[in-house]
Amino acid sequence: MSSAERAGETGYSEEVAQEITNTCADAGISLVASLPDDWIAYTISKFEQDERFNHVPVNREESALGLCSGAFLAGTGSAALMGASGLMTLIYGITKINYTYEIPIFFMITHRGTFDDGAKFHVSNGLYLEDVMKSINMPYKIINSRDEIPMIGEAYHHSRKISRPTVAVLSKKLLQGKV
Amino acid sequence: MKYEEAVAYIASRWNDELVVTSAGTTSELWHAETGDTERVFYLEASMSLSSVFACGIAQGVSEKPVWVFSGDGAFCMNPGMLQVERQMNLPNLKHFMLSNRVYGSTSNVPLPGRNDNDYAAIARGFGIERVYSFGSMNELTATFDEAVMEPGHTFIHLEVEPMNYRGASPPMDGPEVKFRFGRYVERVTGRRVFSAPLDHD
Repeated sequence: MSSAERAGETGYSEEVAQEITNTCADAGISLVASLPDDWIAYTISKFEQDERFNHVPVNREESALGLCSGAFLAGTGSAALMGASGLMTLIYGITKINYTYEIPIFFMITHRGTFDDGAKFHVSNGLYLEDVMKSINMPYKIINSRDEIPMIGEAYHHSRKISRPTVAVLSKKLLQGKV
Repeated sequence: MKYEEAVAYIASRWNDELVVTSAGTTSELWHAETGDTERVFYLEASMSLSSVFACGIAQGVSEKPVWVFSGDGAFCMNPGMLQVERQMNLPNLKHFMLSNRVYGSTSNVPLPGRNDNDYAAIARGFGIERVYSFGSMNELTATFDEAVMEPGHTFIHLEVEPMNYRGASPPMDGPEVKFRFGRYVERVTGRRVFSAPLDHD
């Protein structure tokens, strides 16, 4: 069973995943580096199958950061797609590379640790994720519903405008297509 | 092989390749040797990200050869970098990994596994097809053209001696490195790197 099929069986929305990829393509993103999270299995598979993107599954989140940062210097629009836990591992890389050199990078992450997240092991994300992003002054937007998906493109462009990282945080209900 | 001699030789063979250097010694030696401030991205203290950073560049400017340096200290932090390199298999990417078995940028503190790490075998284990391992200047100079000047993603392991070198960092802050390198890429490739939307509303 593919990860996309599994995502479908666990209640995630293929249509929302398609809307996210369409928004990214319209924004000028052509390279996507990803690491898995159940919530975004459909989204990853959409990027993988879509010829508008060069999708690169990477070995760890820091590699996504490095790859997307280098891509900027080649004029390539990119996104680093990962779970919330992945972003939490990246504080050194973000501050050392993206802040020191003022290289923009755009992250899309899952909003793990929320009340509707059944995974006990994501309690730390519920407690600290937003505070960590705030602590390094990293602009983020929680995408809570389908009518907010265009803000993914805005968040990407904002990273280019301010030469810093920005984050689009994808909620569970959004990815399930419930809102 | 002496670290500084290996870097000096590679610099002497440098043509129009884009270069990404790694933490400390490599950046300092390359800048001391070349003085370049445009074609080199001095990526200092990235803790293992220089090669994936270079992948992002090489994928975007596929017509330009890209040379990237890393050390075995960084390599051991993230050997999975080779998975990404292999996955992307960029024919214009050459990865020089200088192995001195110590953390050379931090007072030569010995590296874990320093006696046994076989970096070329690790690279082959990740499926990389073009792997070279040089332990002397004679080997490096004799096979440089085959290893470096021919197309194909290549991992080049250079076994060098630890050195007590503490040179000056390239005299640029991060944003200057970014703009000089990015403007050079724009100039030679015609691509727009710095193209933020400029809406005024």
